[in-house]
Amino acid sequence: MSVTSPTLRRVLLLSGCFVATAAWADQLPTKEGVADIAKTQFSPYAGRNFPTRVYFGDTHLHTAVSVDAGTMCRIGQEDAYRFARGEEITTTHGLRAKLSRPLDFLVISDHAEMYGLMPQLLSGDPEILSTEAGKRWYDTLTSGNNEAVFATAMEIVGSLSGDVPPIKSDRAVQNAWQAYTALADKYNEPGRFTALIGYEWTAIGGYNLHRNVIFRGDSTVANRTVPFSQFDSKNPEDLWNHLADFENETGADVLAIPYNGNLSNGRMFTVETFEGKPLTAELAAMRIRFEPLVEVTQIKGDGEAHPMLSPNDEFANYEKWDKSNLNGTEAKTPDMLQWEYAREALKNGLMLEKKLGVNPYKFGMVGSTDAHTALAAVEEENFFGKHSGVEPEPHRWEHVVIEAPDPKFTIKGWQQAAGGYAGVWATDNTREAIFDAMKRKETYATTGSRMTVRFFGGWEFNEDDALSRLPATAGYAKGVPMGGDLPKRTTGKPPSFLVAAMKDPLSGNLDRIQIVKGWLGEGGKTQEKVYDVVWSGDRKPGDEGKLPPVGDTVDVVNATWKNTIGSPELEGVWSDPDFDPAEPAFYYARVIEIPTPRWTAYEAQRFGVKMSPDVPMSTQERAYTSPIWYTP
Amino acid sequence: MMRLLREPLLHFLILGAALFGLNAVFVGPETKVPQKIVVSAAQIANLEQTFARTWQRQPAPEELKGLVEDYVRDEVYYREGKALELDRDDIVIRRRIRQKMEFFAEDIAAAEPTDSELNAYLAAHPEQFRMEQSVSFRQVFLSSKRGETLDADVQEIAAALSHANGTEGASLGDGLLLGSEFNAVRRSEVVNDFGESFAEELFSSDTNSWQGPFASAFGLHFVFVSERSEGGLPKLAAVREAVAREWANARRVENLDEFYRALRGRYDVVVETPPAKREARAEAAGAVQ
Repeated sequence: MSVTSPTLRRVLLLSGCFVATAAWADQLPTKEGVADIAKTQFSPYAGRNFPTRVYFGDTHLHTAVSVDAGTMCRIGQEDAYRFARGEEITTTHGLRAKLSRPLDFLVISDHAEMYGLMPQLLSGDPEILSTEAGKRWYDTLTSGNNEAVFATAMEIVGSLSGDVPPIKSDRAVQNAWQAYTALADKYNEPGRFTALIGYEWTAIGGYNLHRNVIFRGDSTVANRTVPFSQFDSKNPEDLWNHLADFENETGADVLAIPYNGNLSNGRMFTVETFEGKPLTAELAAMRIRFEPLVEVTQIKGDGEAHPMLSPNDEFANYEKWDKSNLNGTEAKTPDMLQWEYAREALKNGLMLEKKLGVNPYKFGMVGSTDAHTALAAVEEENFFGKHSGVEPEPHRWEHVVIEAPDPKFTIKGWQQAAGGYAGVWATDNTREAIFDAMKRKETYATTGSRMTVRFFGGWEFNEDDALSRLPATAGYAKGVPMGGDLPKRTTGKPPSFLVAAMKDPLSGNLDRIQIVKGWLGEGGKTQEKVYDVVWSGDRKPGDEGKLPPVGDTVDVVNATWKNTIGSPELEGVWSDPDFDPAEPAFYYARVIEIPTPRWTAYEAQRFGVKMSPDVPMSTQERAYTSPIWYTP
Repeated sequence: MMRLLREPLLHFLILGAALFGLNAVFVGPETKVPQKIVVSAAQIANLEQTFARTWQRQPAPEELKGLVEDYVRDEVYYREGKALELDRDDIVIRRRIRQKMEFFAEDIAAAEPTDSELNAYLAAHPEQFRMEQSVSFRQVFLSSKRGETLDADVQEIAAALSHANGTEGASLGDGLLLGSEFNAVRRSEVVNDFGESFAEELFSSDTNSWQGPFASAFGLHFVFVSERSEGGLPKLAAVREAVAREWANARRVENLDEFYRALRGRYDVVVETPPAKREARAEAAGAVQ
């Protein structure tokens, strides 16, 4: 993330701020202690053989420990956990902040690059100050010369993409990493709140080929390595090799989640290797082994689909950041889009599978925040922004989020999407259960709303299954859940899908559930179609088979809406009317809410500011499930 | 901040401080013995080590002499700068010093708690560790999708349930994705799934008979509560880690606060009335929570 704006200088100047990390190490929980808690608090659903609850969380959050966030944010990892668990904390700017409801899990994924450097640098750590850059940065950051402070902050952010770390202190990184893993263990409470250990590998900064690496195990596992950084390698293939070595050496399990393909300028989901050679089966297998999920929606834009790739999809133009790469140094051209968006990647995956025998893009979907504020706060009426330069204040809608050399690629505050949570159908709220559910892709992405979504595929579903009291019972008995493969076809029937969704009790009613199908058609050409499957009210599809819009009750001035349209629940069974048993395909569900006020509307109302007319004021929150695949 | 640096008042203050300081330098110290700067052996060793870490070798005698000279130069400027009060209005220095003071206070807090301290904390903050209330119940759900017939349906189902036991109502009403039977669910889960007001009614409703309907965001719910557990306070052994975590955090916050209040007590603070404009801004910011 690069952050530059004159308006932020004031904030950057305060970058003498930092948080305590030193006191963490002396309160390690014991295994027995955790087991005791587990005994008294364990989920009562543990006996069931399928997941009965969806757990919501954020797999991607930065705190002051991240080198870039650390120049502006002074909230550290401990407060990030407390906030996610539902406690009230005070933000970098002194506001009181609290979530409407606790999250069930959190991955604090601070940048691997110079991990933990900023707090150590600013506390005058002798280890760091003994390096040339450390001394210089410390001197300028504490010089009182704000031009120098700003320049140094930018130098630090820029150095994330350099070839050598300006400060290389293996011991400092290890200290910070182990302080973090100990803290994660301390806040991990099986059955109540899961603190998965993770970090972000931040390679090719300007093109966002970043990944969040997540561990299944506890600190004893994670401490057997240190974060793999882009200084180790900028090539994702090397990251997979590193993860494979780590798994082989330790017997541990890890996974990696890429995100923001929309800012990669055609590099995230290519059909080539990192170096531009034809993709091999081995590399495709490595990718899908370690990258079962993609984070498709977050503050820096939504990456499910794009209107130019899906011209018939009237919902594809949602919170798009599609003018350039991440740092705005290169304009986007239309031919890049096909390698950036999740739906297109899923389609290209079918094509690659036919060619290589392996589908590198057989991934499921999650959403997350990528907030650099230590606050996983993306509810529309409670949105704390991308980084601490755009935390709530009357004019943040027009402040700069990312400054580009060419002003037309500069991202303004209002363009931030208040979004991204991961819904996970795990058998329990534990590290192991949540990790395993991620690995089997039984997950969905939401744009910040906490709707409950079920999606099953099989060959025998019928209307009665949708009417049954607990669709999951039929779903698991007769088919596979989201993220799965359809069982072998033994009937002459097309595949059928059981889909059900329930609104977030605090958000809008549901407009419709759609099923998105992608397949490999004649001549190996990829195809897609979006089907409206169930919807609220008695709307009838129009001439072109399109369902009319649900309506709009949003009162922008007062930032309210009414649930007089839409439905609190939708459920149905759908059979593919265009099924061709010879064609490989995937299906995923997309659930759309009725329009509700966007965060900008809440803010205009709250601060009494008038925003320019191009600022959107309402939104239709949505969820994307992991696909279910059909292979002939 | 830029504006602040250009602020004439600030220039004036700095100039004033400088003049005052210069006066002190040229007039004051003449009568005093020169201050002593001692570069201790430990300090020299430290300089050597720092050099060695950067250059991977020991400094040559010439280099060491330079390091020491540089240290002395630092020290001289530091002392004289402080005497000139150059640190006073420098926001970076102020913040650094505040951080160091807070670190100092936090450091005092970092100690291993004893069992009796933890037991006392547990007893004093039972609400933080109480095993949550939980409830087992069945529901007959009437979706708000029923629209106009909802009122009549409620009457009909209420009548049917008035003499029914827990299992008898099961076939009535609509399905809900959450299910119709709930076994030992915690209060926080009920709040997450159904909302606060429904949870409130559920946890205060009579048991072993059909009650309601209670409203949620989804529709109306008749409920049959078969069992309710009031939670209770666990033994320390079962929640030791959680208590230790909260104890340490509370102590950290408390120490900081105490430390500050003790220091604050040494001052008589006069706050002048700020301009009205500032108040309005503070209010707007305070509205965000």
